[in-house]
Amino acid sequence: MLKMTHLSKVYRTEVVETYALRDFNIDVKEGEFVAVTGPSGSGKTTFLTIAGLLETFTGGTYHLDNIEVSQLDDNARSKIRNEKIGFIFQAFNLIPDLNVFDNVEVPLRYRGMKAPERKERIMGALERVGLASRAKHYPAELSGGQQQRVAIARALAGSPRLLLADEPTGNLDTQMARGVMELLEEIHREGATIVMVTHDPELAARAQRNVHIIDGQVVDLAEDPRFHAHVVEARQGQGRS
Amino acid sequence: MKLHPMIAALRRHKAGVVLIALQIALTLAIVCNAVFIIGQRIERVNRPTGLVEDNLMLVSQGWVGAPSGDQPGDVEKLDSLLQADLAALRAMPDVESVVPINSLPLLNSSWTGSVALKPGSDLRAGNARSVYYFGDEHLLKTLGLKLVAGRGFTAADVQNRGFRDSGTPAVIIVTKALADKLYPKGDALGKAIYLDGGSSPSTIIGEVERLQAPATGSWVNGFLWNATIEPFRLNANFSRYAIRTRPGRLQAVMHAVPNVLYGVSRMRVLDDDSVKSFAQIRQEAYRSDVGMAVLMGVVCLILLGVTAAGIVGLTSFWVGQRHRQIGVRRALGARKIDILHYFQMENLLISGAGAVIGLGLAIGLNMLLMKRFEMDRLPVLYVLAGIVAVMALGQGAVFAPARRASNVPPVVATRSV
Repeated sequence: MLKMTHLSKVYRTEVVETYALRDFNIDVKEGEFVAVTGPSGSGKTTFLTIAGLLETFTGGTYHLDNIEVSQLDDNARSKIRNEKIGFIFQAFNLIPDLNVFDNVEVPLRYRGMKAPERKERIMGALERVGLASRAKHYPAELSGGQQQRVAIARALAGSPRLLLADEPTGNLDTQMARGVMELLEEIHREGATIVMVTHDPELAARAQRNVHIIDGQVVDLAEDPRFHAHVVEARQGQGRS
Repeated sequence: MKLHPMIAALRRHKAGVVLIALQIALTLAIVCNAVFIIGQRIERVNRPTGLVEDNLMLVSQGWVGAPSGDQPGDVEKLDSLLQADLAALRAMPDVESVVPINSLPLLNSSWTGSVALKPGSDLRAGNARSVYYFGDEHLLKTLGLKLVAGRGFTAADVQNRGFRDSGTPAVIIVTKALADKLYPKGDALGKAIYLDGGSSPSTIIGEVERLQAPATGSWVNGFLWNATIEPFRLNANFSRYAIRTRPGRLQAVMHAVPNVLYGVSRMRVLDDDSVKSFAQIRQEAYRSDVGMAVLMGVVCLILLGVTAAGIVGLTSFWVGQRHRQIGVRRALGARKIDILHYFQMENLLISGAGAVIGLGLAIGLNMLLMKRFEMDRLPVLYVLAGIVAVMALGQGAVFAPARRASNVPPVVATRSV
């Protein structure tokens, strides 16, 4: 589904070159739920923006759903973002001027979908996240957890092949975070491929597989005893509850 | 593109939307009416007088020590002075013809009166107001008037006339406009008319295609093209000579004329304004019209510029305000062209609302101007053209900020600041 090989991302200024990703390799299979973790500045978000075609990369190859994306122009990248990828952002990124219904409709409109089908998908997605009754509400009238659910509904409405989540619970309190996480797990159980960037080992432990990034490279978890201990501890905690 | 979410979003930015829509409405109302007035002024300035204006000039001069014209014998004395001048001017090698006249179109020195079909009539239905031109048998040729029926004057037709005389000519030439007004069936030639309520008939012997009145003010609009040409040599203590020069010799003749006249007699007043080309007369007559048209044009341009700047400013502000939102839209699949179209469509909605309000304001302003300043009714075409213009202005003004918006990268959606 998502395969990056020897991928690199370099930010250049007049005096310095900074490698955000270096010889980065990852292979996410269809139906997997992968958590990407790492300390601040390790390159997690850069990985996510490249995976979501929000940014270009400097070297290497990236295949998304068997399409090599490095040569695609801006329009083709927009089309893939629209049809194959669903985004869930830490800051929800709902459009404040639009109500819930219209927010969920945004990606569907760019797909050129007919109104009846749009409506069916929007209401289906809102029911899926338990917010069908809030369709006419504006984002400012919802709690943080509800806003993130709307964002998830927006991501789901287009039936994407891949869900990319960037710290999806980062702006939520514990209870709301738990609800959002349970929703993501449920979506995964229904067959979705999810890549979630998080710095929270507890959340990462709930994913099917963990990928750890340090200094722009994927490192083997077995060789990082500190992280390994965190994950084991989190999983044991989950088992107790 | 679905309009409902866009309208809903605009509703949440009422102040900016209303201000720009009102600015567009006012611009439309003022520009439509101003352009209409400019158009009318240009049409007025460019209307043909009926003269062949090239190579035509006018000399206006006053005698010094000449008879007043009030005493018996004065007219003969004044006529001899006039004849001497005419002979000298006609002898100039570059002069084609000369006519002594009382006035010229655009000279703002009018002789007006009433023309009736019956003796002793005053102004009534079927009669008309008219301007009077006096001249001799050289008048048609000198002024370049086009005779469309009948004949011109012969030397035998021409009489002397003192400044205060109220004589009536036996024969007369009229403009086609006046002939058609008096005799709508087109049979004016050979018919008699009566001037200024007099009882002596003047027989129409010719019709000229067109001859404009001397005045340019609105008071003359009702009879602007009604003119009678009477075969008189006006004998007063001043004289005017219209002179047609050979092609390309106008400046040379204008330069030589004062010396020629002083050669006949130095007892006269010729100043800097005494010798004018007809082009100068036209320029002076329409100076205020041209000035008004230029002023209104400048006001329109400033207004359009301010409106365009307002649209650029507001859209730029919105682009800045929605920077992240644009990034989110791009992340969700919007192409650059989608973002560009979004802002263009948004502007079209605001401009459209402004145009609808402006349409009402334009008509209202026109009605006010019609009532207060006798302006004509604003043609619908001007309003439609105005609407198209403000819409195009809006689209032009919004393009740069909209293009800037379309270049916001999708990665902005993931940035926290």
